[in-house]
Amino acid sequence: MKFITLSISGLLFLNSAAFAAQPSGPIRIGVIQPMTGSVAYNGQAYVRGAKLAVAQRNATGGIGGRQVELQIEDGQCQPANSVNAAEKLIQRNKVPVLAGAFCSSATAAVMAVAEKYKIPLLSGVSSKADLTEKGMKYFFRSAETDRLMAKTFSKILAGDLKLKTVAYIGVNDDWGRGGVEDFEKYLNELGVKSVMKEYFDHGTTDYYTLLTKLRALNPDGVFVAAETQDGSILVKQLKEFGIETKVFGVGSWATSDFIGLTGEASEGIYAAVPYVSNMQGDRNRSFVENYQKQYKQLPGKYDASGYNSMNILMQAIERAGSDEPEKIRDALHKTDYDAPNGHFRFTEKGEGYGFDTVLVQIQGGKTNVITQAQTDKP
Amino acid sequence: MELLPQYVANGLVIGSFYALSALGLTLILGLMRVVNFAHGELYMMGGVIGWWATTRLGLDFFSGLLLVAVVLGLFGWLIDRFLIERIRDQGEEPGILLTIGLSIFLANTALLLVGTAPLKIESPLAGGPIFLGSVVLTKARLFAVAVSIVLMIATYLVIQRTRLGRAMRATFQDPMAAKLVGIKTANIYAGTFAMGTVIASLSGMLLGSIYSTQVSIGGLVSMKAFVVVILGGMGSFAGAIVGGLLLGLAEALWGGYVATGWVDIIGFVLVILTLLFRPYGLFAKRAERA
Amino acid sequence: MNIQRNCLAGFMLLAAVLPFLVSDQYILHVAIIVMFYAVLATSLNLVVGYVGEFSLGHTAFLGTGAYAAALLSTQAGWPMWATVPAAGLCAAVMGTFIGAITLRLHGPFFVIITLSFSEVLRLIANNWVAVTKGPMGIAGVPQPALLSGMSNLAGKHFYYGIAWGLLAVALYLAYRFVNSNAGRAAVAIRENRYVAQSIGIRPLHYSMMALVLGAFLSGMAGGFYAHYISFVGPEMFRFAFMVTMITMVLIGGKGTLIGPLVGALLVTFLEEYLREAQELRLSLFGLIVIAIVLFLPNGIMGFVTSRREKYEKKNGTTPASMPVSGTKRRSA
Repeated sequence: MKFITLSISGLLFLNSAAFAAQPSGPIRIGVIQPMTGSVAYNGQAYVRGAKLAVAQRNATGGIGGRQVELQIEDGQCQPANSVNAAEKLIQRNKVPVLAGAFCSSATAAVMAVAEKYKIPLLSGVSSKADLTEKGMKYFFRSAETDRLMAKTFSKILAGDLKLKTVAYIGVNDDWGRGGVEDFEKYLNELGVKSVMKEYFDHGTTDYYTLLTKLRALNPDGVFVAAETQDGSILVKQLKEFGIETKVFGVGSWATSDFIGLTGEASEGIYAAVPYVSNMQGDRNRSFVENYQKQYKQLPGKYDASGYNSMNILMQAIERAGSDEPEKIRDALHKTDYDAPNGHFRFTEKGEGYGFDTVLVQIQGGKTNVITQAQTDKP
Repeated sequence: MELLPQYVANGLVIGSFYALSALGLTLILGLMRVVNFAHGELYMMGGVIGWWATTRLGLDFFSGLLLVAVVLGLFGWLIDRFLIERIRDQGEEPGILLTIGLSIFLANTALLLVGTAPLKIESPLAGGPIFLGSVVLTKARLFAVAVSIVLMIATYLVIQRTRLGRAMRATFQDPMAAKLVGIKTANIYAGTFAMGTVIASLSGMLLGSIYSTQVSIGGLVSMKAFVVVILGGMGSFAGAIVGGLLLGLAEALWGGYVATGWVDIIGFVLVILTLLFRPYGLFAKRAERA
Repeated sequence: MNIQRNCLAGFMLLAAVLPFLVSDQYILHVAIIVMFYAVLATSLNLVVGYVGEFSLGHTAFLGTGAYAAALLSTQAGWPMWATVPAAGLCAAVMGTFIGAITLRLHGPFFVIITLSFSEVLRLIANNWVAVTKGPMGIAGVPQPALLSGMSNLAGKHFYYGIAWGLLAVALYLAYRFVNSNAGRAAVAIRENRYVAQSIGIRPLHYSMMALVLGAFLSGMAGGFYAHYISFVGPEMFRFAFMVTMITMVLIGGKGTLIGPLVGALLVTFLEEYLREAQELRLSLFGLIVIAIVLFLPNGIMGFVTSRREKYEKKNGTTPASMPVSGTKRRSA
């Protein structure tokens, strides 16, 4: 019995010793994303975009002659698993920089770990506004926050669409609740009344009860915070139910997958997204072209965030001239990155701004860009 | 109050889907005393294979249903003969752990093969609302409810009117006596498991045509099915149906009059109450008390 | 009994020595997680192994403890040495409440009702936003003040020490329970409920003891977890956590004290090493679980014990240990 324990501990020890000696070879970037579980669909999109960025950079010689290597771990969007993954990446793989962890709660947990080990962490997806308010010096966020989106678009929604009453529906997690609250706050300030606020659990397949209430209240508009899986079913059922109200959503709503799943029901739906494949600009056109060549489908919001996050990190490493975490962090503050969807910069708190976001309407199975707005410095 | 008919309609529709899904589980739970945690994954496989049949093979909906039934019936039979058979006499723990392991394996292998994206199965009837007074329904839902009822009746007939059904009921009452009379109980067990699997997978494909099918829904489906089975009583056919409708109505009414975020809690509260006061469910078949 | 005690002591000694040999923080982290799971597995083993009922609701106690510690430290400012025992007490109270309701039922009913309780708690944690912050969870659970000056490695060593202490307490309490009259009564109930009742043992009394003790231990583990990971959310109540726990108990061998330790070691290593296999990881895990059930139904320790019993029988010496697993009588 003791023998078993001894041998196992011995094996572990040997194994770790093998890892201790690291030559100065490729530059490693740690990535924590949900590769399994209920949001794996979107996590894998992020990784696709990330891999494309790295491949493009490596094709032109890498950074300072060194190739870039992604070390991907599955965080499953769970704080505990993401923390485990972070510990492994930092301690065992010795990555100088991290990207992840998709869901705001997982990112919050990893943020503490990154801060402890003084490794910069960049989140390209987590949109909860208070992540950059925690006084963390090693955390950067290149994603749109719901607050930013709400501020940017609420005027258009209230003004151009002439909405006076709005119902809010959100998925029952931190992102959904946050999104609903942020949009509600800004729309209320513009005089739009909220008639309903309901949440549903991720994975719900039948929305009829919620839709019954919605139909009875008959608002001018419906705001939905949901991802592709839930959102597509909700929209389909909404149309089945005979509700003709204007619908606008946040989440990955403007992707070809969403439109494919929703089918005809997607006609006339508005979406406020940080990225859509038919945004204006040459950079976007070439991004879309390369993406399609590689993956045979159009890129969506998460593919773009993976792509942008990697490019921001790689540019920072290049600017720093070394792969030491401190220097990379300082270099990140000086980011001025030209993305397919605008221009990225960071505030002192690590909050990203300056990039474009769009309001689209889906017509005839395609996204029609109504407005493209630049996000201001918060 | 004017929303009540709509809520009731919603509840009955979801309820009949719950009932169908739970039917497969109650057969296995009641007859074989195996707590099948892989139930949700079998449901999911029905949806996935149904999608593959209708999209990749280009079959129409009914042929797809048939294919799903045959493939998954065989799969269920094999699971029983090779896995469950070995642990049949060891109490219910090994069964629980075995089916949990099976569910993890199935869910993740399906994830590898099919990916995470939600899959759509084309219903033979297109969407679009139908109005019955103030109540909204769709053709696709009514169709699914109709098919569910047909399946339930078919299962009932098999159990009550055929030799196989008689053999199943005999084995349920007393396995030893059944063996003495010459019934090959091993085959009966396998057949029952296969039947439960077929029902689960057919409901998966059916509901995949109304909602969509996703690799990760297994867990939720299993939970809801357990709730229904407990409500109605393990092994009780009528119980599964009444339990399913009851759960559907309770969820719809609670969601409508209180809040939709808490809806799932209703099922579990009902389970706890049932187990406290009438542990054998509303339609208790056996008055056994350990 | 002696062999068990010696093995346990030996293991703890080894564990105490480890941090002095190793300074790789990742390994220390894995070791801390192993010890955390070992506490959980030991506590679950009290119910599954010694009372003989398959509980799928143990996460209820873990989660209660974690939230208690998180709330006490973030809202009331309690320090860690106070929150962890308090977490254990809260979980014990929850255990008394749940036990009073669920322990009247057996077999599959017990399984499902314990699962339902876990799910109800999860839904409450997810929706009662005012107190538990819902899905956002409670973040930033404070670290003990004396850690702020230390290096990361020293901090890890600190947590390692706490985890080791918790495990020692857990093993000690479990050992004392098992080798006491209460423990023997519990085993008697497991083996044959009716006979036990006929000699005056009240089943509810003893199974409650085992459950509440188990709840107390997992509550403390939950409190520790809250401080270590610094984030607590409704996912602590999730079924996936439960699956890990129950797999550890069953792989290691229920009904023994060493079993949960072995289970915790193996499963944690398995999960970490299988990371390399990426997507295949969980499919393999499922297959392994199936294989264990089919081929090693009493877990590894059960296998070892039965080999030892066979060997001793061959050589004429009679083993003085308690039966490892139940020959559970099913009412025909």
